[in-house]
Formats: sequence, structure tokens, C-alpha cells
Amino acid sequence: MNKENIMQLQIATPTLENCRYCLMCRHVCPVGHVTRKETLTPHGWGLTIASVERGLLTWNQETVDVLYSCADCGTCRAYCVTDQPLPDAIASTRANVAAQNLAPTAAYEVHKALQEWSNPYEKHVPETVKGQAEIALFVGDDAKYLWPAALESALKLLEAAGVKPVLIGVGRSNGYLASSLGFPETAEMLVQTTFDELKASGARRMLVLTPGDYYAFSLLLTERLEVEWPQGVELQEVMSLLDEKFTAGVLKFKSSDDKRPYAYIDPTHSLRIPARFDAPRRLLAGVMTSSGHELFWRKERAHPCGNSALQFTSQNISDHLTYARLADAQQAGAQVVVTEDPGCLSHLNRHADCFGLRIQGLYELLADHLL
Amino acid sequence: MENNLFLSEMIRSELSEIVGPDFVSVEESDKFIYSTDWAWMPQMWLDRGMPLRPPDYIVHPGSAEEISEILEVANKYRIPVIPWGGGSGTQGGALPIFGGILIDMKRMDKIIAIDEKSLTVTAQAGIIIAQLEWALNEKGFMLPHYAASSNCATLGGALAPRGTGTLSTKYGKAEDMVLSMQIVLPTGEIIRTPPVPKHAAGPDWFRLFLGAEGTFGIITEATMQLDYLPEARLMRAILFNDLNKALEVGRLIMTHRLNPLVIRLYDRESTSSQVKKVLGYEYDGAYMVMGFDGDPEIAALQEKKALEYCQQLGGRDLGRDPGDAWWEHRYDFYYPPKSLKLPWMYGTTETVTTFDKIANLYWAEKKAVEEGFADWNVKFIAHFSHWFHWGVMVYSRFIIEEPPQDAQEALRLHNRVWNAAMQAVMANGGMINEHHGVGLKLSRYMRKQYGEAWPLLLKIKKTIDPNAIMNPGKTGFGF
Repeated sequence: MNKENIMQLQIATPTLENCRYCLMCRHVCPVGHVTRKETLTPHGWGLTIASVERGLLTWNQETVDVLYSCADCGTCRAYCVTDQPLPDAIASTRANVAAQNLAPTAAYEVHKALQEWSNPYEKHVPETVKGQAEIALFVGDDAKYLWPAALESALKLLEAAGVKPVLIGVGRSNGYLASSLGFPETAEMLVQTTFDELKASGARRMLVLTPGDYYAFSLLLTERLEVEWPQGVELQEVMSLLDEKFTAGVLKFKSSDDKRPYAYIDPTHSLRIPARFDAPRRLLAGVMTSSGHELFWRKERAHPCGNSALQFTSQNISDHLTYARLADAQQAGAQVVVTEDPGCLSHLNRHADCFGLRIQGLYELLADHLL
Repeated sequence: MENNLFLSEMIRSELSEIVGPDFVSVEESDKFIYSTDWAWMPQMWLDRGMPLRPPDYIVHPGSAEEISEILEVANKYRIPVIPWGGGSGTQGGALPIFGGILIDMKRMDKIIAIDEKSLTVTAQAGIIIAQLEWALNEKGFMLPHYAASSNCATLGGALAPRGTGTLSTKYGKAEDMVLSMQIVLPTGEIIRTPPVPKHAAGPDWFRLFLGAEGTFGIITEATMQLDYLPEARLMRAILFNDLNKALEVGRLIMTHRLNPLVIRLYDRESTSSQVKKVLGYEYDGAYMVMGFDGDPEIAALQEKKALEYCQQLGGRDLGRDPGDAWWEHRYDFYYPPKSLKLPWMYGTTETVTTFDKIANLYWAEKKAVEEGFADWNVKFIAHFSHWFHWGVMVYSRFIIEEPPQDAQEALRLHNRVWNAAMQAVMANGGMINEHHGVGLKLSRYMRKQYGEAWPLLLKIKKTIDPNAIMNPGKTGFGF
């Protein structure tokens, strides 16, 4: 029995037995919300997988498409009173399916790119770490290839805060994508390479730009992968550090002249880190003078922006998740949408014009208003 | 339909022309998921590796007009139509037992208007109740239908089986909150009921559609009464050694109109099992939770009076914490593995009757189940949770932890236990259910429940749905 099969038995089975007839988180599932299909809800995924186990269904193109339609965003688990790790169970089932060569073609294509280039976007190997510092900043692939302005601005803000990090993982996936698609060993390889760089940098703290990165280097490790977080190293979001410096008066901002109403979009995976909701809002309020609007799907019930594995395996659902975020902002009365996640920014920006919205990177906004 | 691919494709094409190709599915993976709902029977059947009869088509309409056209197709080809909200019913009310067109209502999920002066909301019937509630809360209102299924059930799904929520004792059942509805009749006409429910312009015909569970048509829109979010909510728990005395306290509170938002009284067995398992309290006796809300001074006074009744009849005040904990975790009872779940056999034989009969009914049902199925080590637990000025509902449940493995044998046993419970209920003046609806499970009791009045209901059904296409096999109506 291979590693994926063992995980399937140990993690998936009890969870699926609990989830297959439970409907208590369906109201928060973003994929269920945009598709309205019972099959594409936590209950639908649970029952589909459990029914394959019972011989009522088989893995074929239809059922595999169902399996790969989950956004792996963690919303169901965040709302589960008994903390069922359904996203982990789905990921381990995908690993089982992928090992049988039954996963969607797109999954294998992305997997190959991750193995070869460490990212799914460009045929470039990641840059290697240069120098050493007390603090490292994990850049990743989204900030490198999808929205580089976020990185430039984050560095400017960190410098203003007295932090000069060494860059690691420049152009390398954080491992989440490989894990979500069902390739845990590749995820582990990517994470381990980043940790090797971290060790070489001598850093005692690793900063990350997004809640998605934070999740990848915290819960994803402990719950899905067999890689241990380096001892004695602290993990922190840049946004959290900036908030500390802003609250302490180290960072100061001038007010924005932009009077248009805005809304902050909690990035994908935010609800996997419940304590992070206030920091970006506080910083944003420190710059914007216009009224801030809140989305319906925010904070503890924040939906993803479309930047997950779905963008490769279910483009249509991924797009609808993006449309839904933009429609939510539009209905809230916003004209400007602000967030910091490069992947979210890239997805939102592709469709923002259709909703009459302007997309604004939070790191750029803050950096542009530094005093 | 399965044996006639040509006709099957013709119908699929027609449905596709109505709602668009993205909103019709004949995929096996979808059919499989929609073949079951939340009832124990189909879940057990699948659990034993036995497939269920799936729908032939799953359609996601976006308007009442589209539903009207779908029903025209269904009438033309004499195909069953199964309205589907959240699929959270416990009685098999959404099971497509004869196949046909399953209409998933969840695309119709818009809030149409909130009237802040009259305190009403008009919404499409496919909206999930929890989402509606969140939207209302942001404006300082609530729709006080706090059902355990709020996270998954739709507004239409609350009205169609005459659902009840946690706060019903003060705010009423879902049917008490509805002012008016838009309904698509089985023959395709789109009608609106009068704008207000209280008038004298003829009989109260709009209530025909409440409790019909989709057999008289499909509710597509409803205007519901709202309330302000309460300023205060005072929760408390009391322990009784004698269940009958606790029931008497509940009667006194209700008949003296102290207006509690909830009284939930667990019998001794339920206290030692469910309350212990979910809330972690170990009490020997009947655990009662009661709450009052609204203006803090009025709520405090109502609570004070209620506590006096409790003390007079031997109730021990446990204080606020156990009451607050219950409120905080009131839905936790329904999350697996805390909830009843397979491979156990279970059923909720909930019923309602007047105060003069309730104690006898409870003890008679308990005896019928426990003595009749002692060989199966059956457990009988109950709580009294929806109180009226004249009586109370008892949420009685049976549990068999080691049921037969053979699916047919298990189903037969399930029906036998249910028969014993229902006979005891009806013999003691109870209704076959108070809020879970009739569905498939209780269909066979409808004739007995209504006696001489049943043919009248059959005539109404035949008039409204001449081709008997709507949700066949449910609420006592055939196909």
C-alpha cells in the first residue's frame, strides 16, 4: 500500500463517514453557492467519495470532475462544530485518484510544471537565496509572476518599518497547489526546498505575503504533509508585522486623495487564519478617507477569489468565484476593491471592468502613502 | 424514461430550451447525489451499497415563469416533478421515488425587498435560511425561524412542510410568519395569495400550500414577517426530578402567557445521553432550558414569574451558564459525530397534542417502543420543545444501535417501530407529526389521521393536480 492509500484510510474515511450526510456547512460553501449544485457541496463530495468506497460509483471522468471541483478553501471546516477536515480528506482522495492516473489532464500538466519549474506559470527555475539575514521573506510564485508590484511595495514598506529581509522562494510555489491537486510528495519537495533556503539564509523569522502562504507553512504542514516546520523559526504575515509597526507609530501614512468608496476583500484562505481579519482593515483605514464597505462574504465567512487549483482544473467555477467576489463588492456599493494577495489581485483584475470596479493592491496603496 | 432514449433526449432538449443547457443535468454523478435526502431510510439503503431510484433530470430554474414551463412539459409527458430545496427533510419528502424532473430551487435565492416599516422581507423561495438571516441581521432584523436545518434548508423548504424553529414558542412556526406567497400551480399558472394573511375575504385557501410539501404546487416567493433583533436574551436551566411536574410548569408558563422564546425540556434519558454528550453536563433528572428575550426589563420580569412556577413544583435553578451553553450549542446536536448517525437506526416520531393528553401520550409511546422492541435494545429519548398556549410538541426518538445489516430487513424493522409509535400517538390524541412533515415516511398514516376528511383532501389534490405529477408518493397522495 502506497503513502496515498494509507492517508486515504487514516484521514479520509472517518471524515467522509461524518460528512457524507451532513448538510450543516452547505450555506458557506463557495462552490455550492456559485453552482447551486448539490453535487458540488461538502455533502456532495463526501457522499461521492464514500459511495465509490461502497462500490456504488466508480472514478470516471464525471466523478473525477466532481472530486476536482472543490475549491479546497477550508470554509466548510471553519464552520464545522466537530472540526471535520473534509478538505484534507478530499486532497488525500485526489492523491489516490492521481496515483491511479485518473486525475484530470490539467492536474498532471500542472504537476509536471511544478516538478520541473516549481511554479505553474513560467518556465523559469526559482532564483536561489542571496545572502543571510535575521528575517527572510518568502516570495512564492504568485508574487513573482502574477502581481510583482505587491512584492516591490511590501519591500518598501518593510524597509520603512526597519526590516530588511532576505528573499527566499522567489518564483517557487508554496506547496499548496501540488497538495490540493493530489501530489503530496511534490508539495513536500517544494516545501523542503524552501526550508533548505530558509536554513541557508540563517533567518529566525520567515515573513509571508498572504494568508495562503501562511496556511501553506503552518496547517498544511501539520495536517497534510510530512515536513516539519524548522525549529526556532517564527512565521509571520507581512500584513501582521506592518500592523504592529503602524499601531506602534513606527509606520505613518498620509491620507489618500481617492474619495471613491472601497471594499476590502479577504484573500483566499483567510478564514483558515481567524486572527488575521483586523490588521489589513486597520492599515487600510489609516490611508483611505472615503467610506469602507464590507462584503457579505467577509472575515469568518470569506469566500475565495478563484485563485486555487480550480483555476487549472475547473476554469468555469474559478471564474464564477471571481465574479461572485466582484459582484459582492459591487452590491456593497464599492467602486474600488482592495486586497493584498497577488493571486487574488490577478484574478479580480481580469474581470473587474465588467463590474465597473478598480482593483487596488493593498501593499501598493500603503507604500504609495508612506510618510 | 430509461428505456426510451429518444423520448428522454426530447424531454431533455425541451427542458434545456426553457432554462438553458447549463441548468439541466442528466449526469449520473448528479442523479446519484439527488437520489437521497436527509431521511434515514435512503441513507441506510445507500449505506448498505444499494442504489436508489434517481431523478431523470435535474433542473435549476431561475424564475417562476421557467418553472411554469417546466410543469407544462411534465404535464405533457406525465412525468413526476419533485421540488427540491435543501434536501434536509427527515421524512423522504424530496425523494424522487418514481424518477422524473427534480427541480432544485437554489438558483432562486434573491432577496426582493425588505420593508423596514412593516417589518417584512420578500424573498425567493430557494434562498438558504441562514444566508437570509445574515442579510437581515445586518439591518438589525431577524426572521425568527431558527430551525436546526437553517444552515441547509431553504425558505420554501421551511414553508412547504410547515416547519418549526427553536424560537417557535414565542414567534410561531414558519407558517405563522408568512404573509403571502407566489406559487406555481401544477398546471402551470403562477398565482399570488392575498397580500396579508388576516382578513375575512373568504376562506383561508392560501394555507392549502403550507404543509402540502410540493404536492399542490411550488412556492417560488414568500413575504415573511420579521422582528427586531432582541435587546436582551435571558437563558436559564432548571432541573426537575419529576418530568410530569416539569410539564406542568411549562403549561403554567404558556397558559399564563409569559411569552418565553423557548422552553426545552429533556426527559431523563435524553438528559443523560444527549445533553451529556453535547453540552457535557451530567444531570440526573429532566433538564429544562428556558429563555426570554426582547426588552431587558420585561424579559427579566417574565423570567422571574416563570422561575416562581419552577420553584413551586420542585425545579432546581441551575443558573444562567447551562442555559447560555445550550443556546450557544443548540445546533451542535445535529453535527456528526455528535448527531445520531449511521450505522445506527433511528427515527424521530415527533408529535403534538394538548396539555391534558401530553403526559399520557409520552408515556404510552415510550412504553410501546421500549416494550415492543426490547429485543433490539431500543432506546427511547424525547424532549418537549415547541410549546403553544394549548399544548406542546414532543420530539420523541428511537435508537437501535445494532440494527439488521440486511437493508430490507432494516427497513421493515424501522417501519415496525414507527408503526408502534404512531399507533400510540394517534390513540392518545396526537398528530402524526408537528414539524418534520409527512413526506414518504408518514404517507401511509394520512388516511387514518384524517378519517372521514381524507377524501376531501384527495378531491382537492385531483382538482389542483389533475395529472398527479407533483411529488408523487408524498403526504399520502399516490401517482
